[in-house]
Amino acid sequence: MKLNPMEMYNLLPKTNCRQCEPKTCMAFATKLALGDVNPDDCPPLLEEGFEANLQKIRDLVAPMQSAAETGIKLDESKCTGCSNCVVACPVDVAAEPPTSEGKAAQVGTTVFWVENGISKIINLEKCRRFPPNRLNCRVCEQYCCTNAIEIW
Amino acid sequence: MEEIVCTGCYLLCDDSTIEVKDGSLRSLGLCRLGHAHLESAIEHATPKAFVRTDGKSNEIAIDDAIQQAADILLEGGSPLLIGWSQTSDEVIKEGLDMAARVKGFFDSMSSLGTSQAMRHEMHSLKLEADLEYVRNHGEFIIYWGTDPSESLHRHPSRFAVLPRGEKIPEGVESRTLGVVDVRQTETMKIANHRFIIPIGSDAELLETLAADITGTSKIDSDVLGIPATEVIGFSQRFQKSDCTAIFYGSGILNSGKHADNLAGIQKLVEAIRSIGKEAFAFPMFTEPNSMGVIKHVADVTSVPCSIDYSSGTGVHNSDVTALQKLVQGEHSTSLVVGDDVLAALPRPAAMALAKTRIIYIGTPNAICDRFAEISIHTPDQMLESGTTMERIDMVTVTLKGLTPPVGSKPTILEVITKLNAAIHDRGGVK
Repeated sequence: MKLNPMEMYNLLPKTNCRQCEPKTCMAFATKLALGDVNPDDCPPLLEEGFEANLQKIRDLVAPMQSAAETGIKLDESKCTGCSNCVVACPVDVAAEPPTSEGKAAQVGTTVFWVENGISKIINLEKCRRFPPNRLNCRVCEQYCCTNAIEIW
Repeated sequence: MEEIVCTGCYLLCDDSTIEVKDGSLRSLGLCRLGHAHLESAIEHATPKAFVRTDGKSNEIAIDDAIQQAADILLEGGSPLLIGWSQTSDEVIKEGLDMAARVKGFFDSMSSLGTSQAMRHEMHSLKLEADLEYVRNHGEFIIYWGTDPSESLHRHPSRFAVLPRGEKIPEGVESRTLGVVDVRQTETMKIANHRFIIPIGSDAELLETLAADITGTSKIDSDVLGIPATEVIGFSQRFQKSDCTAIFYGSGILNSGKHADNLAGIQKLVEAIRSIGKEAFAFPMFTEPNSMGVIKHVADVTSVPCSIDYSSGTGVHNSDVTALQKLVQGEHSTSLVVGDDVLAALPRPAAMALAKTRIIYIGTPNAICDRFAEISIHTPDQMLESGTTMERIDMVTVTLKGLTPPVGSKPTILEVITKLNAAIHDRGGVK
């Protein structure tokens, strides 16, 4: 499930107080939906009268925060170990070139490998979504036939 | 970690590694199906033999079971020797030799689908590219009536859709994927062209596309309820791609219209080639050595289907198949090797098989095992080394097994060889 920036925006105080880094409430809502900022980064939202909205926003972003730094969630119960994520991932192809030809990842330098029949993220920090790069790469999600991989 | 060849499906993946340490298994590269297959193989690696009398199963020595099996096979008129498509080439060859000795019928699950596909005249078009060629050149990939996401998990990532190749430098970005099925499939998620068509309408769509490609009849209205623009876009992709690979599965072969559907695929391949592009078609099946059966059976009769040895010479009977004879009650004894055919045969044939005296040789816990008079449990082929299987593109793959061997002796090949020798010692069927 992806977060809708407009839904976030409607829950913000909409004061455009410029106290946050994105400066405007709409920009803050967009970054909130991408997981680039936290609800607590909005000072007016922490003020009295916005408790319900704050809680609602926290509930909405909670699953995304559990998806670690990259926003990638891998549901092992849905994974078939097809290796689509291993072969599609540009980082994997550079880290272990035989994966570009469809071969199984074996060395341990890739973002994904398939262990015991299930894909696992073994080097999350190499993912192009990981700070500081934070590229909006979604190829693993795009080519996961069973929706085992979701990016928040 | 050591290399292994997975026999979980026909891809026979040879790029995976495993480690068995302190009773626990760790694999790298095997899909969920392959890992589960290997787990089961290791758990049931110890050979055992059982004889069932008055409904009770009692363990006996394997050599005694082989001798009793030889007696039963020689007593039973013309026995049916069935299974094989999950065993190695060497077991299949031994089985063919045994079928000649007992004047029996040799058949396999390959007769249901694979054989029909491989006997079709479209093979006169020389469709036999290998999967490496598809990886290196396949620009337009079609899954028609098959969903690799369900049963051949690594097919798209290893050979067909995602990997990079000589003419496919950007991998999936350099290819186009089309999926045609009668239902929504998981593979459709990653497809550029996806069509859900009415059941039984495959041939119509195939012929429409072929006619559009050759220009004999252009698409100008909806086809099977699909907007014309979408079908035209699909047709244009065939025309623009330098190399098309069509993978067709049970939706084409087991839908009751296999002859029309295969003829449709043939027309489509011919149409694509007529405009100067490459096109190939491959069947999609899950059994690891269906092609081994096809290859070795064709060596005997030139027809890749069941063989009738009842006259003493191996012939293909085009009028009556082994399964039809089984349903007619003409087999009183069956030897089932390496495949749980009772789980896969059509109901009338399964019911008829269950009524015969069954000798089962293979991994335990099969349905055949429960009905067998003699059961000989052997380690899975995946634990064997040195024997071979044929991948779907007829590339011979040598099995690697484990070092030190996890499966204890005898292997399925040793059991079949001993059984054949026991039959030989008795003089076979005169």
